Amino acid sequence: MDWNEVIGPAAAVTLAGAGLQSAMPIAVAAVGECVAERSGVLNLGLEGMMLSGAFTSFLATYHTGSPVVGVLAGIGVGILLGAVMAFLSVTLKTEQIINGIAIVLFAQGITAFLFDDLFKGSQRPTIERLPDIKIPVLGSIDRVDSIVNQNWLFWISLAISIGVWLMLERTRFGLTIRAVGESPQAADSVAVDVARIRWFALLVCGAMAGLGGAVLVVGQLNLFDTNVTAGRGWIAIALVIFGRWKPPIILAGAFLFGFADALQFRVQAVSGGINSSVPYEFFQALPYLVTLIVMVTATIWARRDAQPAALGIPFRKGVGS
Amino acid sequence: MSTVAQPRTFASPLAGRHAQLRSIGSSLAAVILALILGGALMAIAGGDPISGYRAMIDGVFGTPYGMGQALILAAPLTIIGLGLALAFKGRVYNIGAEGQFLMGALGAGAVAIVVPIHAGALLVLLAILAGILAGVFWGGIVGVLRARFGVNEVITSLLLTYIAGFIFSWSIRDPFHAPGVSGLQGKAVPENTIFPTFTSLYVHPGVFAAIALVPIVAYLMARTPFGFRVRMLGLNADAAEVAGVPRGRMVVWLMVVSGGLAGLAGAIQIFGVADRLDPSISAGYGFTAIVVALLGRLRAFGVLLAALFFAVLQSGGQAMSVNEDLPYAIVLAIEGTFVVFLLIADRLARR
Amino acid sequence: MSDAVVMRAIVKHFGGVQALKGVDLTVRTGEIHALLGENGAGKTTLMNVLYGLVPADGGTIEVDGRPLEAASPQDSMRAGIGMVHQHFMLVPTLSVAENMILGDRGKAVLRRGELRAVSARLAEIGERYGLEIDPSARVWQLSVGEQQRVEILRALYRGARVLILDEPTATLTPMETESLFAKLRAMGEAGTSVVFITHHLDEVMGWSDRITVLRQGTRVGELDTAQTSPGELARMMVGRDVELMRVAAGERRMVVAGSGVHGGAALTVSGVSANGDRGTSALRDISLTVEAGEILAIAGVEGNGQPELEDVLYGLRPVEKGTISVAGHDVTALPPAERLEHGIALIPSDRYRRGLIRDLSVADNLVYDRIDSQPFGTPLTVNRKAIRTHANELVERFGIRVSGPDQMAGTLSGGNAQRVVLARSLSRDLKCLIAAQPTRGLDIGAIEVVWEQLAAARDAGAAIVLVSTDLDEVMSLADRCGVLYRGRLIATWRRDELDREQIGLAMGGKVGPRSDQSDVPEQVS
Repeated sequence: MDWNEVIGPAAAVTLAGAGLQSAMPIAVAAVGECVAERSGVLNLGLEGMMLSGAFTSFLATYHTGSPVVGVLAGIGVGILLGAVMAFLSVTLKTEQIINGIAIVLFAQGITAFLFDDLFKGSQRPTIERLPDIKIPVLGSIDRVDSIVNQNWLFWISLAISIGVWLMLERTRFGLTIRAVGESPQAADSVAVDVARIRWFALLVCGAMAGLGGAVLVVGQLNLFDTNVTAGRGWIAIALVIFGRWKPPIILAGAFLFGFADALQFRVQAVSGGINSSVPYEFFQALPYLVTLIVMVTATIWARRDAQPAALGIPFRKGVGS
Repeated sequence: MSTVAQPRTFASPLAGRHAQLRSIGSSLAAVILALILGGALMAIAGGDPISGYRAMIDGVFGTPYGMGQALILAAPLTIIGLGLALAFKGRVYNIGAEGQFLMGALGAGAVAIVVPIHAGALLVLLAILAGILAGVFWGGIVGVLRARFGVNEVITSLLLTYIAGFIFSWSIRDPFHAPGVSGLQGKAVPENTIFPTFTSLYVHPGVFAAIALVPIVAYLMARTPFGFRVRMLGLNADAAEVAGVPRGRMVVWLMVVSGGLAGLAGAIQIFGVADRLDPSISAGYGFTAIVVALLGRLRAFGVLLAALFFAVLQSGGQAMSVNEDLPYAIVLAIEGTFVVFLLIADRLARR
Repeated sequence: MSDAVVMRAIVKHFGGVQALKGVDLTVRTGEIHALLGENGAGKTTLMNVLYGLVPADGGTIEVDGRPLEAASPQDSMRAGIGMVHQHFMLVPTLSVAENMILGDRGKAVLRRGELRAVSARLAEIGERYGLEIDPSARVWQLSVGEQQRVEILRALYRGARVLILDEPTATLTPMETESLFAKLRAMGEAGTSVVFITHHLDEVMGWSDRITVLRQGTRVGELDTAQTSPGELARMMVGRDVELMRVAAGERRMVVAGSGVHGGAALTVSGVSANGDRGTSALRDISLTVEAGEILAIAGVEGNGQPELEDVLYGLRPVEKGTISVAGHDVTALPPAERLEHGIALIPSDRYRRGLIRDLSVADNLVYDRIDSQPFGTPLTVNRKAIRTHANELVERFGIRVSGPDQMAGTLSGGNAQRVVLARSLSRDLKCLIAAQPTRGLDIGAIEVVWEQLAAARDAGAAIVLVSTDLDEVMSLADRCGVLYRGRLIATWRRDELDREQIGLAMGGKVGPRSDQSDVPEQVS
């Protein structure tokens, strides 16, 4: 296999561009998860929310021809599942881990059924690729253009991710969210409605997960298949830990993952899948392996107090710690 | 993850009168709700719920062979489910049983194909042992990572599942590729290792093994100090630690046992059903077993009942999709809703 | 001028229990009012009602002559009520200023300028009342005394004219207590009224103008401090003449006679240093020995390393330096499971979190630390009958009030729960017992039982380390006593040398004879 075709100078920039594109779905979902976890709820249903958002946005785009409608639909479904998660975890106060798994199973089951039912017989349905936007100055430079010329969905998602980050760190509302995740009793004692804040955080998380799924399908792959998200939700959760619950580091980690993912695609394309020294499955597994290693090292090195203190623990009024 | 104030988890028993009854009741309620939903989906898909379900039932109970097929399907669900019930009871959330299953199948198949022993029985036993150990290893990694470093086992076990999938694919494509066949198919295991079938139901020994494991695990959970400690760990890990329960070791044990059982199930599938290393070896048993364990309220006999129910659903579902022209995906959808309904029903039962 | 607060006929139930049975309370403007009662009398509940944390089931409240419908803390805060809780309600990872604005209505967006304004206001209030604090400091970096200051500041920042303090001195040294009350007195002169909740008689006598005594949800007295005595208060609090209350009032020392004959060194701790949860140094170079048949009390104000000491002695926290041995065996690296085998047991300071498993029966809780040894089980079986018999015995012996051994441990009251924890640990073969805050939050009856049992264990030959922030407890039980201050063990005395004042001073870091007081030097780390 000709490695130059994979990471030679020309290839490297295309790779970087593809990497950015690949990173965005996970980045968006991860920032959303960060909001949920900062408020104290461990949302393990992210994969299911992403998948649902992916399916819904695909369906809507396919039938209306408008990617905008598709993306909005995906976000809407994400919010819906976020509400389910909030209902289970915040209102009913059942075990958050199980709630998350329940949502993932639910989403996988329902999307499998609906995809089968609605697209019976169609061979690999696809939707149109979004056009790249040419950036004024940088976009004309050779090589750099493949990195910066992304489609509008990419830029919107990036803007939203940064916006949510700023909301979390720099606004009064973000302060309240963080307080609720660290010490809900303290927040409660100054009349903060802990449940309402957590509900909101989960709706935001769901929306962003749905957006992530939409970006994956409408912005990147242009198709849908059962379990198209292929574990990206789990990787996003791992990234939150890796990023120590701080969005900028999470975004950096997402881009790292995106690059690994793009690399793996490229290797498959170049090698053609037969007879190379390193089997292509290794590259397929690489993103997951990298995530695993990253998660382990991040957990070992991170200080124990980086994690929101009340993460995963339902809040009951009047019960002392 | 912090364990400061313990939430009311799945592992904690329903308090008050008739706790057992309410527990079973909420499982039943979840099942009924899911079946109603399934009927609705059948209607959406253009079929008739009544005949859809009837096709399911006929498909299973109509012939001895059909019943046997359901039992064969129930076997891996039971075995894996037992392991998961034990692990979940200790709040060790092994979501990667699917990966451990695959590694078990791979290990068993590889040994059977490669090791030059001619005595069938001996080879099979050795291969099954290899499968169990493969599952033990794959699960053990997760356990050690959590015990030593505090890394979340849900995510690590899932990531390892994806990786196991890729390892399995590669094995079928390259080292264990079926000779002379294009496309993805693995080598067959030696003829004399394949399980014979018994009785008019045409079931293989794995089914008996699964049934035999149920009382063993039940005893383990209810009547041994180990089971008692698992319970303690699941209810209040901090108090358990003060009481002398070796937290880290228990976590590793639980991952090892559930991983080993998943590996066993994988090995049994090779010799009992697939006869070769095949990409279709798993229909997501590792994930379905999670729902089986939860629906069975983390109790051994509950797991058996839940596994049988699922087997009927899936086996019958195949018949339904053939006879009634309804998508098999309905079954997937129904399965997907069980846990959500169960959580709601369970919460209502606690009031 | 109307009274600052008038509460009439306040009623409150929690489930089946009536916590308040129609209580009246009047606080005059500018006074320091003590709300006295033993643990469980309803004092905190009454104040939680006033502060809007808990809705009352009946009764009325008037603040400054105007009726108050206290449905939430916000209502009460608007009426000028502020509360400083026993367990601080601050978010540790946020700064002081951020904690101030939490819960405030205000502009949703940019905070930069706002924080500066908050800091300025804090500085102003701080200076006025002598409560200086750095607004940008993160709360977890502050000492316990400083955190309390933040809590008080927060109440004042919100415009409190009535300040409620729940057990404010639990975390303060005697000097800090003096300083606090002096500041409260100054506030009183400026028109702020103070209510402080306590079960310590000496505080009431020393610092209040008027007292309301509660007992089991009823008001049994409302008096002027100048016209009553500790003895009278004690009788009102408990309803009978109790030896323990005399101890609490400082009138007598409970003589729990140690036999004076000790065995060899049962527990030896040498040069132990350990870190806290945030990685900062919590224990520094601790060395102590406890002999069989003696109680070594470790006094000290909360926040000086007690939880870490408890953890380290039992193996729940690693040591950075030093060794721990029990009867000659080095146990430094051993986890709790193995320490139990060496005869060390722990009565944890947090009994609900670490001492009991709520969803198991009382019977199970009584044996769960030795479920695999005879007669309760072998590695392969569990003997349910033996567990039951054992449970019945212990219930009898320790007076645990349960409907049966199958009752769930989570339904037990504080006193009963602690009896279960005691029973479990004391029915073992004990070489060394670590008792951390064993009577925290318990009523008199339960405290009596605990003290008796600890003394009995001591007499039977166990070495006991009693970690306690309660000076009365230390004075009553200690054969020897040390003080934990900022992670160091400073000063030790034998029983006959025990002097309440000396200990109190040491708790604040001042050691040496009265004439020659010196501050314990800060460790250069």
